[in-house]
Amino acid sequence: MRVARTTKLMVEPPSSATGDIAFNLIVFFLVCASVQPDAGRRQSIPSSETVDEESKQTENIEVSLTRTAVLVNGDVIPTNRLLSRLKTLLSGKAQPEEKVVVVKSEPDTPYSHWIFVTSIVEDAGGIVTLQLEEEREIQVPG
Amino acid sequence: MAMGDIAFNLLIFFVILARAQDDSHLQWTPAKADNLENAGHTMVSVLIDSDSKLYLNGQQIGVAQLAGQIETALGDAPQGERSVLVKVHNDTLAQRFEPVIEAISEAGGDLIHIVEEQRD
Repeated sequence: MRVARTTKLMVEPPSSATGDIAFNLIVFFLVCASVQPDAGRRQSIPSSETVDEESKQTENIEVSLTRTAVLVNGDVIPTNRLLSRLKTLLSGKAQPEEKVVVVKSEPDTPYSHWIFVTSIVEDAGGIVTLQLEEEREIQVPG
Repeated sequence: MAMGDIAFNLLIFFVILARAQDDSHLQWTPAKADNLENAGHTMVSVLIDSDSKLYLNGQQIGVAQLAGQIETALGDAPQGERSVLVKVHNDTLAQRFEPVIEAISEAGGDLIHIVEEQRD
């Protein structure tokens, strides 16, 4: 039996379904918007503890950040040589406590610079530890 | 027809309700870094916007209350499920973001810095 070929190419959906179509479109776009994954860098920073200036351990690598520069143990290092420098300093250190890199930032260090440098420290195998200045209230007699 | 309208209004209601916990309406520009990984599902999100205001799950908060609120939000979650998304505007200064990072680590949260992939 031969089936007659239809020549009707476009078929309009019934107008009563418009609400349902709009509803399904909204749900579709909401789901698309909510499942967009975030990408990031995982960072493990040890919980804070108060260490006196006098009892501070000095054998750890110290990275100081200013607004634009990086100092490793007091020496200014260009950012393109930072990874190799840290890898050299961390080589031969097997214990986790030896791999601690103390990061000290000037108050005006921007986050973009900070995350760039701490990422390099972690890529070099270091464990980032923040050194924060504790605010102390001193009453001046007078 | 009224059925469709009711469903539509319910949907809008739940979207607005969900938005109160969401921080997608806040203004911030992510910094750039490489070797990124998928952040996965997290219960806590901390954000510092372009005006240096601090938000926890979309609600403005002071840095003094942050550690306690994160501890409450994380509850007894085991290690590995204590991730905290950290979204910091790229120009925020250390004097603002370092106490926030300290508060998260004090609350036992695992930091995930949300950044953009560095393209050379």
